[in-house]
Amino acid sequence: MAELKTLNHHYKDMWVFPDAEDLAGLPAKATSLGKTRLLLWVTLILTVLGVVGFVMRASADGLSNYEPWGYYMAAFSFVFMVTAPAPLVSVAFRLIRSHWRRPLTRIAEIFALVGIVNFVLYIPLMLMIPEIANPNEIGHHSLDIRRTLWIQVPWGAPHFWETAAMFSLPLMSCLILLLSSTPDMSASIQYVTGAKKKLYIFLAGYWKGSKRQWLVMQAAIGALGGLYFLTLPFVQFLISTDLGMSLIAGWKDSIFPAIYTLMGFQTSLAAILIVLYVFRKWGGYERFIGASPFWSASKILLGLSLLWIYHMFAFFITFWYGRMEVEQNILNYLFVDSWFWIFILNALGSWLIPFGILVWNPVRRADWGAPLAGVFVLFGALMFNVRTFVGAFNAGREQIYDISITVVPPAVAPDIWDLFMLIGVIGLAGLVYLIGLKIFPVMNIWEIKEGAMYQKMGRLFRGNYLVLAKPE
Amino acid sequence: MQEGRILPPEQINKDLLNSIMSTPKWYWPAVGICSFIVLIAATVVAYMINKGLGITGLNRPVMWGFFITNFVFWIGISHAGVMLSAILRLAKAEWRRPASRAAEVLTIFSLMTAMTMPIIHTGRPWRSLYWFFPYDFARGIFPNIRSPLVWDPSAILTYLTSSVLFVFIALIPDFAILRDNTTGLKKIIYTKLAMGWQGNARQWKLQIVAGILLSALILPVFVSVHSIVSWDFGMAVSVKAWHSTVFAPYFVVGAVHSGVSAVIFVLILLRQAYGWHDYIRREHVEALCRLLIVVSTGWFYYFVMEIIFGIYGREADEVAIRTLQFTIYPWNYIMIIFIVTTYFLPIFLWSRKVWRRNLLIVSIACISVNIGMWLERYILFIPGQINKQVFTFTWANYTPSLFEGIIVLGTFALVTLLLLLFSKVMPLIPLYDIKEGDILKTEVQIGRRTVPATFRED
Repeated sequence: MAELKTLNHHYKDMWVFPDAEDLAGLPAKATSLGKTRLLLWVTLILTVLGVVGFVMRASADGLSNYEPWGYYMAAFSFVFMVTAPAPLVSVAFRLIRSHWRRPLTRIAEIFALVGIVNFVLYIPLMLMIPEIANPNEIGHHSLDIRRTLWIQVPWGAPHFWETAAMFSLPLMSCLILLLSSTPDMSASIQYVTGAKKKLYIFLAGYWKGSKRQWLVMQAAIGALGGLYFLTLPFVQFLISTDLGMSLIAGWKDSIFPAIYTLMGFQTSLAAILIVLYVFRKWGGYERFIGASPFWSASKILLGLSLLWIYHMFAFFITFWYGRMEVEQNILNYLFVDSWFWIFILNALGSWLIPFGILVWNPVRRADWGAPLAGVFVLFGALMFNVRTFVGAFNAGREQIYDISITVVPPAVAPDIWDLFMLIGVIGLAGLVYLIGLKIFPVMNIWEIKEGAMYQKMGRLFRGNYLVLAKPE
Repeated sequence: MQEGRILPPEQINKDLLNSIMSTPKWYWPAVGICSFIVLIAATVVAYMINKGLGITGLNRPVMWGFFITNFVFWIGISHAGVMLSAILRLAKAEWRRPASRAAEVLTIFSLMTAMTMPIIHTGRPWRSLYWFFPYDFARGIFPNIRSPLVWDPSAILTYLTSSVLFVFIALIPDFAILRDNTTGLKKIIYTKLAMGWQGNARQWKLQIVAGILLSALILPVFVSVHSIVSWDFGMAVSVKAWHSTVFAPYFVVGAVHSGVSAVIFVLILLRQAYGWHDYIRREHVEALCRLLIVVSTGWFYYFVMEIIFGIYGREADEVAIRTLQFTIYPWNYIMIIFIVTTYFLPIFLWSRKVWRRNLLIVSIACISVNIGMWLERYILFIPGQINKQVFTFTWANYTPSLFEGIIVLGTFALVTLLLLLFSKVMPLIPLYDIKEGDILKTEVQIGRRTVPATFRED
């Protein structure tokens, strides 16, 4: 690669300009992942522990009562929150034509495979969800049906519709992954062997790279992306209300689904940036991944962290101000009293620490800044899911048909099987993602090649600056 | 961007200072009409102060009607400035350049107009002083700082101050050009305003840094203003349709939606009125419409959340208000008109590129958004108050009076008048911003194609 000389104040590798030799070698490089055996074994062991935990919990408590499964729900929600919006990150940045997204789109799209895991993990939860109709006689302070978004209880609600919605997500995201990686698989056929070669020929053998094929592919990705963009918040809304909010009597919070959706984007971006950093630092992709994706994405991550505290404050002050008993009890339960320390960890991880890291411009410009903040973001999200869903599952089954919560329950610590399920679910997600990295080309070859055409350094007066082509 | 032609700086000065240096034929009649309407509205305000609030439709239980709806509407319009000027500057969007000044100025004038509404609404405006001074030292009655109604003025005044500062900093280079192109009293005034601007490297660097810093610092103010306005309603536990946690982001996104739509409409009018076809191009309008598709979809999401959770609680009184809003005349018609004009019609009109580039269609969409957003506030505030009390004998409808309608119309005329007067003394498109955009334009060769490109500023 040509030596980059710059007179301005950026790091030397803020933008990278792979030359023809680099680009020619990219298909071979992107399809051979290198040493991941240790990681695969670790995630496999974690998955096995998770299965053990699940089996032990199921044999002890069964699937008919949801209360012992709080940590399982928290683990599922955490993985869903992190992985489900990731394909959307790829589509969204592609739609707004930001050049810095090129190295990270495939990394984001491969999370679609974890969506299949999400669907499988979701199935036991559907078996546990309590009835909408109150099975007991209606008491003075009880409702005939519990608070739920299925207000008139239409046919199939909630099981059929929620399962259908959960199924549609990995279906769409896997299609996006397949479409986006078709040109790359086609270009890589000559560099792979064995079952992978057969798979690539099966999936991408028809690809000729004609203008029509390119146009159809991009239109299809756009259409699927738009559909995914409409479906995902709906599913996040279902998860956050039906499996969270509606299990705490009197918790009527219109901003909570928005917070859940927002955290989805925040955690997805964080996870993508961490993986991108690993590839740049240890994967040998520094000639294809400059510091600019981290710089640009760090501003978005900073904005999302600030949006988190904004939404949380809007919720808190509305609940706190009126001094209504039901709202005070919910605040005491989820924020101030029972789950206080988990909330503090949540706030530190989702807002304060990422804000403290990313507010500094030199840190944002460095390639390690955003991934470091991302680690804390993921931790904060885990705490959020533990606080919310373990709290919801353990608020007391007897009160879900009441008008409001009257007793503030204590927090529930995890036992050994909860911990196994927690690490097992995360391990399973990691395992599937690693398998995805082994199957699909890990860099978006065609987008990086396109970017190499559209970006260069140019001289303006006394400085060298980046020149971005705008063909649209 | 790629459709424009690069014009010499002298031509840019001549074109964009045209509104100041010469007066088109339509100008004074427009000022005259707006002034007349403002005068009528001021007369009605004076009459109302003399006769009392009884001449309006306000009465138990609906104490907040047209005036507060209009107040929130104009606060909403004011959010366009920061959106287009600050956020798009930080995002380095090239297509913000012709829109930023008009957006910032609309922000200031809509804030000023919005502030008149609660003062008029007091019925005895001189008593507004009690916001700042305690009433009767002997009784020790102080303004209740725990009330969102007291947070409002501090947030709005902070936003107004910072917006004025923002506009002024950006105007300094343009004042210098006006100083150099005028004579007599005008020259003296512009010289003072230009504050010694010479256009050397240090001054430009400071100006750019100030712009970026102000852009970043004004962002939390921008979010806080409409959030605090929303909490005027959201914190009220007594009005069932108002007590919702989503109000803050719902109001902010709605404000951006209505504000940016208003700015697009103003830009189209300016383009036609002053012949600024080389500066306000169809590609700018198209880019703004694409932004609005995202913003309006976000708004619709928050709107659906607000409606669903109104019914989710299964509280009889809140369900009754939603039933009123959706099924009882005239609220059901207002609801349909509001949803169609705020979201579905504009989205439909913005869905095709050829329509986004048609200025008439875009104008219709933008006017539709603002009609819908005014109705949104109306349908949000009034029905909840109608059934506020438990006793049905306290329930009463609200019928706005002619006087309230005239005053509301007067606010639209006031903002238009202020914009017209501004255009006579200061340029509505920042000259240096346009020139900077031209400097950053370049081309690259990709294969056999020559593709437009831009230098990235930093």
